[in-house]
Amino acid sequence: MTNHWIDIKNADAILIIGSNAAEHHPISFKWVLEAKDKGAVVMHVDPKFSRTSARSDFHVPLRSGTDIAFMGGMVNYILEKNRFFKDYVVNYTNAALIVGEGFDFKDGLFSGYDPATRKYDLSKWKFEVDANGVPKSDPSLKHPRCVFNLLKKHYERYNLDNVSKVTGVSKDNLLKVYDAFSATGKPDKAGTVMYALGWTQHTVGTQNIRTAGIVQLLLGNIGIAGGGINALRGEPNVQGSTDHAILYHIVPGYLGMPTAAWQTLEEYNKANTPVSKDPKSANWWSNKPKYMASLLKGWYGDKATKENDFCYSLVPKLEPGKDYSYMFCFDRMYKGGMKGGFIFGLNPMNTLANTNKVRKALDKLDWLVCSDLHHSETTDNWRRPGVDPKSVKTEVFLLPSAHRIEKEGSVTNSGRWLLWHYKAIDPEGQARPFGNMIVPLMSKVRELYAKDGGVLPEAVLSVDWPKTYDCNEMAKKVNGVFTADTKVGEKTYTKGQLVPSFAALQADGSTSSLNWLYCGSYTEEGGNLAKRRDARQTPMQERIGLYPNWAWCWPVNRRILYNRASVDPNGKPWNPAKTVIAWEDGKWVGDVPDGGWAPMADEKGKYPFIMHTHGVGQLYGPGRLDGPFSEHYEPVETPLASHPFSKQLSSPVYKFADSDMDLLAKPADPKYPIVLTTYNLTEHWCGGGETRNVPNLLEAEPQLYIEMSQELAKEKGIKNGDPVIVESIRGRVEAIAMVTIRVVPFKVMGKTVHLVGMPFAFGWTNKGCGDSTNRLTPSVADPNTTIYELKACQVNVRKADKVTELKL
Amino acid sequence: MSKTIFIDTSRCTACRGCQLACKEWYELPANITLQKGSHQNPPDLNPNNYKLVRFFEHKIDGVVRWFFFPDQCRHCVNPPCKMVGDSYVDGALAQDEATGAVYVTPKAAQLTAEQGEDVRQACPYDIPRLNAEGKLTKCSMCFERITNGKLPACVAACPTGTMNFGERSAMLALAEKRLLDVKKEFPNAMLANPDDVNVIFLLQEQPGRYHTTAVAEAVPAGYSRKSLLASLARPLKAMARELT
Amino acid sequence: MKWTRRDFMKLTGAGVAGLGLVQLGVDLGPARAYAAGLKTEGAKEVITVCPFCSVSCNIIGSVKDGKLVSTEGDPDYPINRGALCAKGAALLSMTRNEHRLTKPMYRAPNSDKWEEKSWDWMFERIAQRVKETRDKDFIFKDDKGRTVNRLETVFFHGTSHADNEELALAHQICKGLGLVYLDHQART
Repeated sequence: MTNHWIDIKNADAILIIGSNAAEHHPISFKWVLEAKDKGAVVMHVDPKFSRTSARSDFHVPLRSGTDIAFMGGMVNYILEKNRFFKDYVVNYTNAALIVGEGFDFKDGLFSGYDPATRKYDLSKWKFEVDANGVPKSDPSLKHPRCVFNLLKKHYERYNLDNVSKVTGVSKDNLLKVYDAFSATGKPDKAGTVMYALGWTQHTVGTQNIRTAGIVQLLLGNIGIAGGGINALRGEPNVQGSTDHAILYHIVPGYLGMPTAAWQTLEEYNKANTPVSKDPKSANWWSNKPKYMASLLKGWYGDKATKENDFCYSLVPKLEPGKDYSYMFCFDRMYKGGMKGGFIFGLNPMNTLANTNKVRKALDKLDWLVCSDLHHSETTDNWRRPGVDPKSVKTEVFLLPSAHRIEKEGSVTNSGRWLLWHYKAIDPEGQARPFGNMIVPLMSKVRELYAKDGGVLPEAVLSVDWPKTYDCNEMAKKVNGVFTADTKVGEKTYTKGQLVPSFAALQADGSTSSLNWLYCGSYTEEGGNLAKRRDARQTPMQERIGLYPNWAWCWPVNRRILYNRASVDPNGKPWNPAKTVIAWEDGKWVGDVPDGGWAPMADEKGKYPFIMHTHGVGQLYGPGRLDGPFSEHYEPVETPLASHPFSKQLSSPVYKFADSDMDLLAKPADPKYPIVLTTYNLTEHWCGGGETRNVPNLLEAEPQLYIEMSQELAKEKGIKNGDPVIVESIRGRVEAIAMVTIRVVPFKVMGKTVHLVGMPFAFGWTNKGCGDSTNRLTPSVADPNTTIYELKACQVNVRKADKVTELKL
Repeated sequence: MSKTIFIDTSRCTACRGCQLACKEWYELPANITLQKGSHQNPPDLNPNNYKLVRFFEHKIDGVVRWFFFPDQCRHCVNPPCKMVGDSYVDGALAQDEATGAVYVTPKAAQLTAEQGEDVRQACPYDIPRLNAEGKLTKCSMCFERITNGKLPACVAACPTGTMNFGERSAMLALAEKRLLDVKKEFPNAMLANPDDVNVIFLLQEQPGRYHTTAVAEAVPAGYSRKSLLASLARPLKAMARELT
Repeated sequence: MKWTRRDFMKLTGAGVAGLGLVQLGVDLGPARAYAAGLKTEGAKEVITVCPFCSVSCNIIGSVKDGKLVSTEGDPDYPINRGALCAKGAALLSMTRNEHRLTKPMYRAPNSDKWEEKSWDWMFERIAQRVKETRDKDFIFKDDKGRTVNRLETVFFHGTSHADNEELALAHQICKGLGLVYLDHQART
């Protein structure tokens, strides 16, 4: 989230799209309703009417996979009706920057596309720069190739006719949302977008969010109270686990993962550190070498020296351009290329796409280490229905893990608040916290390398590894310590003392930090700030519910990101009633500002978007792999054979796995005419491995169901409560029909398109409750993130004669 | 002045925090349930669920409405269940003067299953249930919690301001205020029997949009409410004869 | 750990008794026996964070003699203010359910059953398998002769359920082993 949970109450318009917040983030609705009580309009745009819709002012049904058309229509509406916040757009976004002549867009394709590699050449989309490398700009917005005019041209195709035809949303409903939300394009109004997996799990997921970014920048809604683009992160600590980068492509703190192309730290820094010669651009990422050196010092301790490049050579290097995510990992596994692995607190046999394939892939491992609270479809995959365990060669180690309430440590919520939790009781039986598994386990591996040698033992042995797991000690290492006596400002810190803030991190090895974003969370002066429970606020902070003294928040306790955009170039709040920061008597008050420099108009002032090289918000985003603007493409499996935006039916650059089990239905395949979308529900958690085993929760939602319209049910002769068979080209799933007025057929391109929805929380290890819905979904993914398209694929439904997965 | 729970269904998201919080506080066992085409599960109140969120979907004037009703004992001002129960075993049910809470006492264990069933039949809201041993169960307004300075478990868990607890006068005032607000969008909105109960529901629509016992039915002709309640104190079968 | 318990009266804006009626001298009559002490009376209160979505509601666990007797939302925490959804409210029974794994379990190749093993046995055996695979499949150089020091036949997946401190360690050791197939819930 750019903002945080409480801040939702400051919004004047709330657009919930790609999220079912009331069901999946139930407590968020405390704050949504508080805003509504004060007059905010709450809109829910989603394929089905859910508990979120029930409490919104209105619900707009949208065919799954058409969010860009819907939001692109809003961009067009804002520009057409002059609803944008001009001062903000001109000063704080790249609207005025001039795009180079290499950029072009024709019939669904941007310039630089290579059909052979299915990739774009991003260099075609660069800005036109002056002799210093600073982009040229035209603040009058008249230049035909300035971003503003390209934006207008790109989205003018997103008129009501085209958008309505593709999305299945009536023009009235489109206008209702566009009008209400674009009314926030005023200095004293705020609109927020709440999204979740309903936006990310598409082959155009990144661009769904980009389109919201464009809308929010046009309306001046970024950086302000009640504004922002708010990813409602799922998962218990997924913000923290992303920050700490349990991902192949980054290392902690969103630094790029080293690749073979960068053989030395110097090469890495050169390739990864952006340069700006614009004196007004803070270009914060220019500090990257300090964060990387501190990370290496954190990983390798005293073994990392300036002379040995801080052990950079020991860090594994990716093959440039190669994707090591789930989808390609399981594809490789399926093809026999994986020997062993670790699956901790995760149930991929239920939650990844095309689980029939994923389950077969796991059989091909020699060994597998799992850790979980309960037996799951993953831990017990070797004895799944229809498989003879004797045919599965995998040696499986199952480690019982502790609940959160049985251990101490910190987690990071979706609003980036770092929260400490305490241990209430001992873990059940011999269960252990993850830290108490991984430390002794890897100590054992290190012991073997120390004793017997082996391949590149120094990589394993140079790691600064603790003898026992101590969360407090680790929290300090995450924050970072001085590795030599150092003076910061007036204060001298001695070796071993905590680094007070990431501004003090150094590239010369004198500091260590396992995550620069968390630097400042644990200080000599304040102790462990995640433990703070102090509700005090200044009256200004209290008006927007900032709670700056409660816990701690990354970065540097800044509660609202990009908050320098909440003031005019002179530092005066756009909306004084909901001040986030203000420049008063030569200093900033309110939230921690995005850098302490004077306001932008000041001689020493800086642009507000300090994480971008050019300092401004990106209406035009030349860094994405699928285009600098968003464009409507159909899901890879689609009920349509064409759409009005271009001849390019689906994304030209989506990623996919390729095996005999990765079948895809043809566009408009009559065998699979129904759109399937998948989701979660309040009473179960994601793959359901935890909650299905809690009898009180299983009581409330006991079995897999499929929500469908009355019209579809009638067509198929299905009655409410009937068991049905759902089939895609990849698999077959049994579910109980829930026939409801909350799902409606869509009128799309002149024909009726039915949509059904199913949760994915059920699995065979809880007998009779149903099995993985993801046996239906395809292994196709967003080109930027490789997140699967789990929200839209094509199926058919029929009444079941008999069922084996469900207890009746 | 008694305590009152005000349940503003216009704010409910059916997160079922209340349903689960109640179950967890009382450590009630889970029922084995099945999916029968509704999110409402278990399908009805039962000895293991004193609190149950009911779901009702309607298309009204072309607009989809999904109403949620976190059902529970109304803690009647003049509780028929107590009258009937006490007519068999004195003190089987009790009504606390200070709080208005109506609860099953240990003496209720002496009620036969048939007598317990009579108690259930007496309830205009169909709340009490008999467990497998034929013993009477129902919500106690978290009597032991509210007399120890805690909110009822369902109220404490509620995120949206649907569940409210306090002095009766304060809750009535809140209910009236909310009703005025809700009526702007839902002109048929109403408070369910506010004078007769200490658990007051605000409904967004007329009672016919909910289950049949959402609101107590009108008193049969020829009876004042008081005389009906007095007659309820006699065995129900006798009363049934009188009424027919 | 210290915190100031928010007064319920402020919380609801209504006149809820902050003190029990017994303490206020109200005669409960026959109710007194029924309304005996709460199960949480005298319990130690410990703050935890709900283990589900990233609203991260705070929860108070009441602990008596080392046993969890109740869990409820933390009324002081500014985000959830005591509230919990169905999942958060079910934390107590979640820690008590009979399906819980309580011992390290081992499944031998082609076996049809789990066997109980000690932690030490598990660590020893896993460490051997890791080393054996790493030593066999480690890649020093890529096709272009560039140093890559990576292992492509072992993967590490998970988990967003872990604490930040644990995740930092997990990432660190993956780098130490040379693992590159690294992923978790953030990508789904």
